Amino acid sequence: MRGKFKDIITEMAEDDPRIVIVLGDISVFQFNAFREKHPDRFYNMGILEPTLISVSGGLNAAGFVPVVHTIAPFLTERCYEQIKLDLCYNRFEANLVTCGASFDYAWDGATHHAYSDLAILRLLPTMEVLQPGSERELEALMRSQTGNGKPTYFRLSDNPHTIDVGDVKFGKGIVLKRGTSGCTIMTAGPILGNVLEACKDLDVSLVYFHTIKPLDNELVASFRDDRILVVHDAYGLKEAVDAVCGMRTWYHGLPDDFCVWYGKVHDIRRRLGLDPAGIRARVREMLAQND
Amino acid sequence: MLDRCREIRSNILKISHASGNGHIPTSFSIVESLVAVYSTIRHDPKNPAWPERDIFILSKGHASLGLYAVMANFGYFTTDEVYAFGAYESRFGCHPDRTKVPGVEASTGSLGHGIGLAAGMALGFKIAKSPRRVVTLVGDGEANEGTVWETALVAADCGLGNLTVIYDHNRSQTRCLQIENPGERFAAFGWAVTEAPGHDVEALKAALGKRSDKPHVIIAKTVKGYGIKTLEDEVFAWHRRAPDAETLRKLEEELHAG
Repeated sequence: MRGKFKDIITEMAEDDPRIVIVLGDISVFQFNAFREKHPDRFYNMGILEPTLISVSGGLNAAGFVPVVHTIAPFLTERCYEQIKLDLCYNRFEANLVTCGASFDYAWDGATHHAYSDLAILRLLPTMEVLQPGSERELEALMRSQTGNGKPTYFRLSDNPHTIDVGDVKFGKGIVLKRGTSGCTIMTAGPILGNVLEACKDLDVSLVYFHTIKPLDNELVASFRDDRILVVHDAYGLKEAVDAVCGMRTWYHGLPDDFCVWYGKVHDIRRRLGLDPAGIRARVREMLAQND
Repeated sequence: MLDRCREIRSNILKISHASGNGHIPTSFSIVESLVAVYSTIRHDPKNPAWPERDIFILSKGHASLGLYAVMANFGYFTTDEVYAFGAYESRFGCHPDRTKVPGVEASTGSLGHGIGLAAGMALGFKIAKSPRRVVTLVGDGEANEGTVWETALVAADCGLGNLTVIYDHNRSQTRCLQIENPGERFAAFGWAVTEAPGHDVEALKAALGKRSDKPHVIIAKTVKGYGIKTLEDEVFAWHRRAPDAETLRKLEEELHAG
């Protein structure tokens, strides 16, 4: 997905001279061509994430559209106050694009895991929070939201799904499956692949989100009479669904503990019951409670 | 002390008394620096959004009362308006909000943020090949924040010769983490350094006029509470305190006797 991000933003920068790339020494080789073509609009600024954010706020004040990119936990959790104040409160735009979220860097351990990013950023006024699950979703959202005057978080994944979810519009959820059991699964981002496989022959509704904030509250509310199981390998979606009045929700995702194993994302997902088998077991358990 | 600066300090005292708000000693520390800034940057108080203006950012936002008093003196708004300082529907909060106060370029308050925004603006002007310049004022206590030094690295690496930092060296950290020889430290980070007497407007104006390919820091040697010995001697007790009527009278007497 990082390659796709580079392709999209490079193409957009051809038409929009305001776009400036600010890197935290990540994905540098990806942007070699951009750097050669627009040396004055490319800055591999250093490993100082809070300052990447503040400088980007200033760049926007000077008329530019900064696109800031580095690893998820460092650009979000480490920089929370810079995002809150230097972007949101000051009403400056920056587009924060991260890699390695959730357990994409499983092998690096808990210092590099990031599962709170969506949850904390959705609390910030004016912030747009996006978790595109596929390259196609990324393209639609990046083209529609970059340069709109607001701070926007794009959470990339090295393990995107390849499912065609239909029309991708900012702020809109998508119903992928309608069941009759009164049990609805809500999910977001790349984990959709596992969720869809787990539920393919189960009598549940399935609702998918690429936009965590603003959440499609109207769509969520239309499932108010159902029991909702939020399946997500992060925090943020469950809390956003719960903010819609009167929802009955359960969560299948992360434990209240650090994930202290290594391996690959699939290993962590299996351990947490977020592989297709684990998700299927949890959904069937919920369906059984319906009987 | 220039009459202009004495009048500004008197207004700071009176507004603090009337509103019950304000960090007086830190505001007194920067009066001459701000007068020098607004005397030298290209700006138009009657047209604060003038596209060709230079930028000033008060990074240590808690000195907002000093900023407002100086901006009023330069004609951005009337001093009378600032008497609503900190009131519920006032534009003039105890930390400045750029969406409310004309001429305030960044909303600051949490320390270590304004300097990064300033560097970003300077970088933007450099990319745009604009002659616009950026000045920001950082407190020596604020310089405890790591982001100040992150920004110092980036500004030097990006060759931001259009960025000037006024470092308000008022020894505010005598009970905490003091930074000795800040000029040497900035020089080691690749900055051009000027040391200046921080209550001499002409010296500060001359320092602000210096040009270099490097970012420039002016180490302004200042005194917290400058101009009133009671404040200078009791900076911690007066850090955030408004005078009652009798105290105001005494402080004003001291100010005008000095």
